[in-house]
Amino acid sequence: MKNVLRFAILILMLSSSAFAQKYITKNGKIDFYSDAPMEKIEGKNNQVKAALDASKGDIVFQVLITSFEFKQALMQEHFNENYMESPKFPNSTFKGKINNLKDINFSKNGKYNAVVEGDLTIHGTTKKVKQSGTIEVKDGKIIAFCKFNLAVKDYNINIPSAVAGKIAEQVQVTVDATMDLKNN
Amino acid sequence: MKTWLKVLIIIAVIGIIAAFGVFKYINKPNKDIEKAKAEFTFKADNLYKKYNDNKAKADSLYNEKVIEINGNLSKIDSPSDTLVVAVFTQTLEAPQPQSDDLLGDLNAEGGLRCTMLLKYCDETKKITPNSPVKIKGLCKGMSGTDLIFEKCSIVK
Repeated sequence: MKNVLRFAILILMLSSSAFAQKYITKNGKIDFYSDAPMEKIEGKNNQVKAALDASKGDIVFQVLITSFEFKQALMQEHFNENYMESPKFPNSTFKGKINNLKDINFSKNGKYNAVVEGDLTIHGTTKKVKQSGTIEVKDGKIIAFCKFNLAVKDYNINIPSAVAGKIAEQVQVTVDATMDLKNN
Repeated sequence: MKTWLKVLIIIAVIGIIAAFGVFKYINKPNKDIEKAKAEFTFKADNLYKKYNDNKAKADSLYNEKVIEINGNLSKIDSPSDTLVVAVFTQTLEAPQPQSDDLLGDLNAEGGLRCTMLLKYCDETKKITPNSPVKIKGLCKGMSGTDLIFEKCSIVK
């Protein structure tokens, strides 16, 4: 009887660990781009943290704002000091869920459409967002990709009136994170 | 030469110099971190401890500063040929996260993460884990439990 119980517990433990598949990276990428008459702004960040729980559909991103790189030093200074106030709000996060989890087969290679909904926090302001993207399953890795537009005023990012109209109000954001299975 | 012509030439020269200065200011390139002299030198675990003991103070002292780090390299993350991150893993004092907290999972381990300059990617990949190295880079501050460095090079 004891052996049966042990066996049952072992099976339960194995099955729960098989379902609790978490994928993780600390080298995801976020690029943003805004095109406007005064300044064409492009920033890149290669140290984005991302994690996905394939069993629940939970997905999170965490990014350090100061590690966005720009071609021009002045642009980087303005971005951090004037617009994003990075010393005050050093990180941005997204915490959400994949709505159509049943459409994604994490054990079969392929590219699947995903609808993600959750809380996006930028510049200390949290907004509910819903975006479409793709989840690609590739040889045990997960590649999460999403491209969307973001209105800077939604996150209380103030553009000085002197340059308002010359800086784009919408910023195009591209998220690209390749996650590996987390070893528990 | 007539006085008004002299004044006009002087104004034009000043205008050209000012325009050049403004152009240079707007387009000033990013600081060359590889050539810049390190403002601080730390053992990896000592610097990490400073951020954990008093983050606000460490932020004000070390963020955006060129720092030389020495210690035993724990591992090398190289998701692509053009992106190589040298990692000095640190022991966390904070309690382990709840298993259902994905952000906690992301920050279950921490350390100094140094994005290498492109020209140092190949050299970095050849470093044997646990061997001592000196890395110089621009300190960007904490992202969760990780202290981020950019534009890093190997100090010979």
